[in-house]
Amino acid sequence: EVTSVGQDVQVIDPDVRMHVYSLVTALGGFNGADADRYMLGDDALSCLRDIRRWLKLYDQRNNRMDVVRCLGEANLVMGDILPILSIWWNNGQNSKHLTRVALACLELLVPLTWPAEYHSQMTANHHRHTPYIQQIQVQYKRGVLRYGGSNLLRAVIRIALPSMAIPRSERESRDEGILKLMLYFLRNVAIITTNERLAAEGDEEETSRSATINAFQDQDAFALILTMCSNVAEDFNQQDIVLLEILFHIIKGVNVDKLFLNEDERKAQRSDELSQLLKKENQVKREYAKNAPTRHGRFGTMIWVKRDEHKVSTVSGQNILRDDQASLQKMDESKKWKRPGRTRRNKDETVQYNDFNTPVHLSLLATKNLRTFVEEFLDSGFNPLFTHVRKAIEREAERVSAINARQFFYTVGWFLEAERARRARQAIQRKRDGKNTKDVEPDSFGLVASVLNQETFISLNRGMQSSLDNKEWDDLTAQMRCFTQILLTVQEMTFSPLEEDQEIADNIQNRIFYEETTHDRVLSIVRGYKDQGFGYLDAATELSHVFLRMLERYSKTNADLQIRSKRRAKKRKKGEAAQSAGQEDGEGEAENEEDVNSEDEDLIDSAQVSKERAFDFKRFAAKFCNQSCVNTFVEFTSFYRELNSEQLKRAHRYFYRIAFKQEMTTLLFRLDIISLFHRMIKGPGAMESSKPIYKEWEELVRQILRRLTKKIDQRPALITELLFSKMNSTIYYLEFGHERQTMSTA
Amino acid sequence: DPTSLGLGLDEEVKVTKQRRPNPKLDEARLLSQPGIPKLRRTAKQKLRFKGKGHEFQDAERLLNFYQLWLDDLFPRAKFADGLAIIEKLGHTKRIQTMRKEWIEEEKPKPFYDRTNTE
Repeated sequence: EVTSVGQDVQVIDPDVRMHVYSLVTALGGFNGADADRYMLGDDALSCLRDIRRWLKLYDQRNNRMDVVRCLGEANLVMGDILPILSIWWNNGQNSKHLTRVALACLELLVPLTWPAEYHSQMTANHHRHTPYIQQIQVQYKRGVLRYGGSNLLRAVIRIALPSMAIPRSERESRDEGILKLMLYFLRNVAIITTNERLAAEGDEEETSRSATINAFQDQDAFALILTMCSNVAEDFNQQDIVLLEILFHIIKGVNVDKLFLNEDERKAQRSDELSQLLKKENQVKREYAKNAPTRHGRFGTMIWVKRDEHKVSTVSGQNILRDDQASLQKMDESKKWKRPGRTRRNKDETVQYNDFNTPVHLSLLATKNLRTFVEEFLDSGFNPLFTHVRKAIEREAERVSAINARQFFYTVGWFLEAERARRARQAIQRKRDGKNTKDVEPDSFGLVASVLNQETFISLNRGMQSSLDNKEWDDLTAQMRCFTQILLTVQEMTFSPLEEDQEIADNIQNRIFYEETTHDRVLSIVRGYKDQGFGYLDAATELSHVFLRMLERYSKTNADLQIRSKRRAKKRKKGEAAQSAGQEDGEGEAENEEDVNSEDEDLIDSAQVSKERAFDFKRFAAKFCNQSCVNTFVEFTSFYRELNSEQLKRAHRYFYRIAFKQEMTTLLFRLDIISLFHRMIKGPGAMESSKPIYKEWEELVRQILRRLTKKIDQRPALITELLFSKMNSTIYYLEFGHERQTMSTA
Repeated sequence: DPTSLGLGLDEEVKVTKQRRPNPKLDEARLLSQPGIPKLRRTAKQKLRFKGKGHEFQDAERLLNFYQLWLDDLFPRAKFADGLAIIEKLGHTKRIQTMRKEWIEEEKPKPFYDRTNTE
């Protein structure tokens, strides 16, 4: 059925609209004589309650969003709720009635600001209203952060303070409810952002993360969060998950390194940034100028490219005169056809508010405010909160939802990184102050100890495995980041001047590296990259890089590192073979009998065959030496123009390992890889040659190319093999020129 | 009445124009004469490397060689796209056996090998 779009089209039932509008009107308004004063209606409290009833009984019960939208169109929040809260804050806190009205306002604000997300169970009604609601929520947020001169966040916190002051044992469910309302309100404010797909109306700056952070700092929301986090075990044990959510939405996407630069460094970096950007732009211009036509656009140059068998291709344009390379490139560029079947999966809309891969830029003031908060949080709130949250997630408490685990791991990883950045900065500071390092008592890692225990490792390992199995890539990305940060923190602990820290670090490393399943998981994560997006790619390559380097160092210093490996299938086959042969020795018989007798065969089986064996790093590193791992890193490297030095270094080390430590250059001898390497150094669109990492890459690529030309001369079969991924059966021959002498029996 | 005879003279003859099938870069094309056989034939004369000190020029030469070959074989695809298609074809059974054969061809004979190494 087609309806023409016009004024007559009703998206909401007119009756509903009428009822809601009359309630909003009866709530109160600005007085005619005293136009800037808000006058509360006679029955305001009942009006607010009625509106709430509408939300509950119409919207929620029928799974619609009509009333929410109606209230948005009626301008309830900006026109009534915020003025009422402002009145209460300014001169109504002693009035019992006004306080109740303010609380009723908060009760409406929470559902109205509740993030409208895209999800899988959306009705046509949801699709119709969600964009409008997302847009109006941004306006709500702007109003809340800056309503006239009032501190509305502070007002909301004030509403909940009496309930906070009551000890938990004496708190009633109403008080708990108020606390919940207040925290969810803060969370909603933290979440709401302008939707990049909808037309912005100049709200970006006023509702940005920086604005949120500054408001949280100015209006003591940070102080409140800190208090609650550090007392989460005693007084606020129902609020742990909401607190986690607030933290997550405040810090997601923030660059830790930038956060911990001090004032001078930041200034220096900013001016550096500017000069670097100018330089970069200059370089782009120069590169263009090199190829730019020197005559006018209609100068009409055309050349023939002579080819075999008396064939020629024609190419036009002046820039092709420069060299052969340019004309060949132009030939390629002028082709219009695109390879079919490479459609990009459109980005999942459901992650909009939980996306942590998009970087966020903070203003100077916001950086300072956030850093103060982060440091205070690390000092007081980190251990209590994260211990509590982990337990709640493991217990699958009722207040925990599926998204919280991801938020937990991401937030833990982020704060661990922040702690390391802070320590690094402190070390520099001390050196600069000229104090002898021995005079200063070194800090222990106790401040972050709560996530460096066996329980966390177990839940992290379990989480990673299930995310990997269930293909939940965003979860896995968060867990990988967390794991990487734990590894890096432990590594730093090993260099601690405190002997106790070293011992603990040693112990932790032993525990992390003890399970072979962990090793295999890292491997299969790297191998399993396919279309999961850059965030996953970055996290996976970083994890493998850090994991391999730490494991290498650790297995060097602990030559007798034992790992526990589980070999189920093999043992079983052996058992079966023995059975069929009919002659078992005593041990085999016992095993078999147990196998047969046990009700849960698998369990017994796996328990039986897990055994310890000495760890061989070389063998493990060789597992990363295969085509799918190479493909993952090639994919990562193909973003070289956007990667920073640390990321480029990571890729460089990997390819160096492949080519020169594992002697498997053949894996890199594929034309797309060669072409990528060549382009990185020689262009078009090469890396910036002024960076130090460029030199390292140039040398690596040069070495690889030299080997390539040598190998082609030695083994002409490479001419065809360059086109393909190598086959396992022939790769050894291609690399070494002879077959493997000893067949491994394992 | 001619229609009642069932000759179908009045019925409209439907002329369905067959769309010309798009050329494809598939196994057959890859293994045809202008495909890999030509690549193997011409590489020996065409690819001369200068060696040490000229790594990047050598790589350019190599890439250009393949680009021109691919342009002859399947003109509509860009170099990178063509490479990706061929790489994918490399996973098929037929191409894999061919690849093994090509490698076997250049391998020294086992007997010869033994005398050589000793």
